[in-house]
Amino acid sequence: MDHLFLVVVSGIASGAVYGLLGLGLVIIYRATDVVNFALASMATLAVYVALTVVNRGLGVWAGLLAAVLVAVVVGLIVREVLLRPLGTGRLFAALVMTMGVSLVVEATVADVWGTEPRAFPPLVEGRVTIGSAALATQDLVVIGVSAVAMLAVGWLFTRTTLGSAMRAAAESATTAQIIGVPAQKVARIAWALGLGLAALASVLYVPKVGLAPMVLSAPLFRAFAGIFLGGLTSMHGAVIGGVTIGVLENLAASYVSANFRDTFVFVLTVLILLLRPQGLFGTRSFERV
Amino acid sequence: MNAVLWSWRLAVRALLAPLAAVLLVVAIEGGALPAYQAYSVALAATYTVLVLSVGLLAGWAGIWSVGHPALFAIGAYTVAFGSSHGWALEPTVLVAMVLAGGCGAFLGFAGARFSVLYIALLTLAFSLVALEVINRWVDVTGGDQGAAVGELPSLFGGTLAGGGADAVVAAILTAGVVVGIAVLARSTSLRMRMVAAKSHPVVARSVGVAPEAQSALAFGVSGAATGLAGVLLGLITGFVSPETFSLTLGINSVAAAVLGGVGAVAGGVFGGVFLAFAPTLAGLLGIDQLILQGALLILTLLLLPTGVVPSLGALLRTLVRRIRPPSEAVPEPPPATADPPAVGSHTAELEVRDLGVAFGGLQALDGVSLTVRPGEVVAIIGPNGAGKTTLVNALCGLLSGGRTTGSATFAGADLFRVRATRRRRLGIGRTFQHAEVFGELTVAENLLCTSRWVTADRRRAVEALLAQVGLAGLGDRHPDQLPFGPQKRLDLARARAENARLLIMDEPFGGLDSAERGLLAAQIGRVRAAGTSVVIIDHVLEDLFAVADRVVAFDFGRPIGEGTPDQVMADEQVRRSYLGVTTAERLRPLVRAGAEPVLSLTGVTHRYGGVTALDGIDLVVRGGAVLAVVGANGAGKSTLGQILHGSLTPTAGERTVPEPVRSSLVPEGRALFRSLSVRENLEVAGYAAGVKGRELRSRIDDAAEWLPERVRTRLGLPAAALSGGEQQLLAVARALIADPRLVVVDEPALGLAPALVDEVYGRIAGLAEDGVTVVVLEQLLTRALTVAHEVVVLHEGVIGATGSPEDPSFAVRAERAYFGASSTEHPVRP
Repeated sequence: MDHLFLVVVSGIASGAVYGLLGLGLVIIYRATDVVNFALASMATLAVYVALTVVNRGLGVWAGLLAAVLVAVVVGLIVREVLLRPLGTGRLFAALVMTMGVSLVVEATVADVWGTEPRAFPPLVEGRVTIGSAALATQDLVVIGVSAVAMLAVGWLFTRTTLGSAMRAAAESATTAQIIGVPAQKVARIAWALGLGLAALASVLYVPKVGLAPMVLSAPLFRAFAGIFLGGLTSMHGAVIGGVTIGVLENLAASYVSANFRDTFVFVLTVLILLLRPQGLFGTRSFERV
Repeated sequence: MNAVLWSWRLAVRALLAPLAAVLLVVAIEGGALPAYQAYSVALAATYTVLVLSVGLLAGWAGIWSVGHPALFAIGAYTVAFGSSHGWALEPTVLVAMVLAGGCGAFLGFAGARFSVLYIALLTLAFSLVALEVINRWVDVTGGDQGAAVGELPSLFGGTLAGGGADAVVAAILTAGVVVGIAVLARSTSLRMRMVAAKSHPVVARSVGVAPEAQSALAFGVSGAATGLAGVLLGLITGFVSPETFSLTLGINSVAAAVLGGVGAVAGGVFGGVFLAFAPTLAGLLGIDQLILQGALLILTLLLLPTGVVPSLGALLRTLVRRIRPPSEAVPEPPPATADPPAVGSHTAELEVRDLGVAFGGLQALDGVSLTVRPGEVVAIIGPNGAGKTTLVNALCGLLSGGRTTGSATFAGADLFRVRATRRRRLGIGRTFQHAEVFGELTVAENLLCTSRWVTADRRRAVEALLAQVGLAGLGDRHPDQLPFGPQKRLDLARARAENARLLIMDEPFGGLDSAERGLLAAQIGRVRAAGTSVVIIDHVLEDLFAVADRVVAFDFGRPIGEGTPDQVMADEQVRRSYLGVTTAERLRPLVRAGAEPVLSLTGVTHRYGGVTALDGIDLVVRGGAVLAVVGANGAGKSTLGQILHGSLTPTAGERTVPEPVRSSLVPEGRALFRSLSVRENLEVAGYAAGVKGRELRSRIDDAAEWLPERVRTRLGLPAAALSGGEQQLLAVARALIADPRLVVVDEPALGLAPALVDEVYGRIAGLAEDGVTVVVLEQLLTRALTVAHEVVVLHEGVIGATGSPEDPSFAVRAERAYFGASSTEHPVRP
C-alpha cells in the first residue's frame, strides 16, 4: 500500500512536469497555431544558463529566475525572427521549423557544455517519511510549485481582461481581429508564457535525472501524449492529461514492466484516441468546404 | 499534348533513374570509384528511397511523418533476422515490405480519423515506441549490441552477403528502380486522388475519392518503400544497430525532404544524397552536422519554401519563358454543336419525399418533397437561411452532423443508404459556389482524378470534355493561372466527367461577369439536351430565367412556391420572402437636418482573387443618420461594410473621412466568443480598445444597460447560452464598448424571429438618436425602408438605386434595382 502511495505521488510529481510542458505547448498552439517542438530544447538551453548562475553561488531560486528569463527571450527571438515570417495558417511549415530550431539548439548546447550529464541542485533537499514510505521532499515541492503555477495561469486566463482576450483570440482569430484585439501582442504574451512554464518545468525536472542536452526530450514526448489525451486545444486537458500520463507511466514501470513504460503509455493513449479522436477535453473541428 | 507522344516522354523520364543507377554500377565495377566511395553512393541510394517515401507522402498525401525511422528499422531488423534464420532473400524483402507497409497503412488509417496535425504526433509516438521495443526486445534485435546481417541465398541462385560489394550494387540498382517507379506514379490517378483528398477532403468525396482510404493507401505504400530501404541499409552496412533509428533521423529525413522539395521526385533524390553526404559536408565546412542540417532546414523554409529542386525548376521555366514567350492562350468559347442526344441510361429521376434535416434544435429542412425528371433544369431559390445549401448537401451526402428524416431516391437507389463517395458512381455530380478546383493539380488532372485508372482512352475523353467547356489546350496549366470563369467551367467539367446523370450546382452564376454567365448558361443547355437532370441553387435570379424549366422557392426550410420562373416571381409569398413584410410602424428616428458627411467612398472597387465583389462604389455616409445598404446575398454588402468600417482596404478607390472616426463592426452571424461569458465578451472589446480599470467597468455597466433584463442580471452566462436575439444585442453592445461614432451592423435580423427583429432594430435606431452614425447591411428591402433615413440598393457589387424612404417613388425603383436591371424585362407585378 505504501509502495503504491509512493508510486502515485512520484507519478504525480513527474506528471506535474509533463502538465506544465503540455500547458506551455497548448498556450502557444492556441495563440499562434504553432506546435512548438523546440520548446524542450530552448528550455534546456535556459537551464544550462541557470546552472552557470547557480554555480556562481547565487542560489537555485536565482537560477530559476534566470532560466525563465533566458527561455522567454530565446523563445520570443525565435518566434519573431523565424516563425512570424512564415505567415499564418502554415501548421506543418511551422512544426518543421521548430524541429529545425530544436536540432540547432540541442547541437549548440552539446557543443558549448558537452554531453556529460551534470548535477543540478533541487529547490529543496531531503526526504520526508510518511508511514514506512520515504519521499523526496523535492517531489512534494515539484507538485506544490507546479500547482501554484497552474493556478496562476488559470487565474490569468479566467479572471483578467488579458486572459479573456487571449481566450477570445484562441476561439476565433478572425473575430478577434474584427473587434481589434492586437493579435501580435497576444501571440508574444502566449509565447513568453509558454516558454516560462517550460523553463519552470525543466528546473523542477532536471535535479532528478541530471542535466544533459537531450534530457528534456522524454518529458516533451510524454507532454505530447498528455495533450493528445487532453485534446490539443484544451488547457486543463493538457494538465490532466500530463498528470495522468505521469501516474500511468510510474504504475506501468512498477507493476507491468520497467522496460516498456513508454510503449505501455503510448499504446494506451493511441487506443483512447481511436475511441475519442478529439481527446478527452478537446473540441471536434469539422473540415469546411 | 498527343497521348502517344506523352506516354513516350513519360517512359523516357522513368528510365532515367535506372539508367543512372546502371552507369554508377558500371563505374564501380570498372574501378572508377574506390570501395569506400561506392559504399557512400549505396548509402545515398538507400537514403534516397527513405527521403522519397517521406517527401512524397508529405507532398502528395499531406501526411508529415517523423515516424519513418521506425519503418526503416523494421526493414533493417527483418533482414538481420532473416539472414540469421536461413531465410531466402526474396521472401525476406517481401516480409520486410509487408510488415513496414502494414504498420504504415495502420498509421494512415488511424491518422485519418484525427486532424492532420495529430498524424505527425502519432508518428512521433510510433517512433518512440519502436525505439523502446528495439532496445528491449533483445532476442530479435540484439538490444544495444545490434544485429549482424549475414548471407542470404537468393531463390534464383547465388547469395547476397551483408556488407559485401554485391550488396552495394543491389542497393544502387534497387534505388534506381524505385525512383523510376516514383516517376511513373506521378502520372497515375493514385497520386492525383491523394492530392485531391489532401487539398479538399469534402470536395474529393463529391468526386468519389474517400480521404481515409487514400491516407491509409498512401502511408502503406510509403511504409513498404521505407521497409525496402531498411533492407538495403542492413545489406550494405552488414550490421544493424539501434542508434541509427533515433528520432533525430526522423527529423533529419523530414529536413532532407523539405530541403529537396516535398512532392518532387527529383527533390527526394536531392534530399537523400544530401542526407548521406551531410557528415562529409559538415566536416569540410568545419561545423557540427546537426547544426548544418538544422540551419539549412530553417533557411530553406524561410527562403525557398518549396524546396531546392522545385525552386530551380521554377527559375528555369521563367528563364525559358523569357527567351521563348508562350502564346497567350485565351479560353475560346465552346463550339455550338450539341452533345449526343439522350442515351438509354440517362433516364434517372430524382425523387425526394418529405425530407427533413435538423441540426440540434434547428430544423434546417422540413417536409421537403421534390421530383426532378430526366433532362429537366430545376432552380431552387430563396433568401439566405432558407435551407438551399442544406438540401444540396443532403443530396450529395456532404452534411456534417444533422439528423435526416424522409427519403431521397435516385436511379432506384435510396440515397441516404449510399455513402457520399459512391453517389458519384450513381451519376450524381456536384459543382461548388467557389469552384473549389484542386489547385495543386493541373487542369487535366482535375478531371483525370475522378477515375481510378488513367488510360489513353480516359485522357482522350478528358481532352474532349475540356474542349466542350472551352478549355482546350489548357490541360497542362494550373487552375490558379486561369480567371474565375474558366475555373467554374472546370468545376462543371469535373462534375460532368463520366457523364453525370444528375448535376447539382451551387450558385453557378455567382462571381461571374455577363460574358461568362452566357457561356455557362449555354453549357447548362447542352447538359440538359444530353438528358441530364440539373438542380441549381442561386440568388442571382435573372440568370435562372434563361436556363430553368421550373423554379422552386424555399423559405424557412420548406418550399413556398413552384412553377415557371415568371409564375414564381409573380407569387406574392415568394416576393415577400425576399423583400420582407411591410410593417406599418415606422422605426427610424426623426431626420436631422443638415447632417455633415462623416465618411465617403469614391470609386471603390474590391476583388477577391479574380472575383469582383464591388465595382465603382460612390457613397456618402452622413452623421447621426441610419443608412441601410440593401441587396440579395452575394450583392457585396459585407465587403462594403468592412470597407466602411475600415478593416478592409479596397483594391481600388478612396475611403475618406473629414476627421478621424472611431468605428465598430458587428459582423454577420453575431460572431460572439461563444465559450466566453457575456462579461468577458465585453471585456475583450475593452481590451482591444485599450480601455482599462474603472473606465472599463463603467463602460461595461453602460453597455449592460443596453442588454435585455435576463442578460443584464446574468453577465456570467456563456454567450453560447443566449438566445439569437440576445446574442445579437450583445454583439451590438460589444461594438459599443469602444464608444464608436460609426457602427456598421451586418444583417442583424438574420435567423431571428420577427418580434425580436423589431426589438433589435428599435434599439439600433435608438443609437442614431444618441448621435451615433449607423450603417445597416440588410437583405430585406421593406425592413430597410422602415428603419433607415437613406437606402442604398446594391446589386452584384454595383449601386442600383439610392434614395430616401420618404420619396414615394423610391420603393418601386429600389425593388427593380434589387432584382437587377434585366428583371424589368419580366414585368412581374403592376
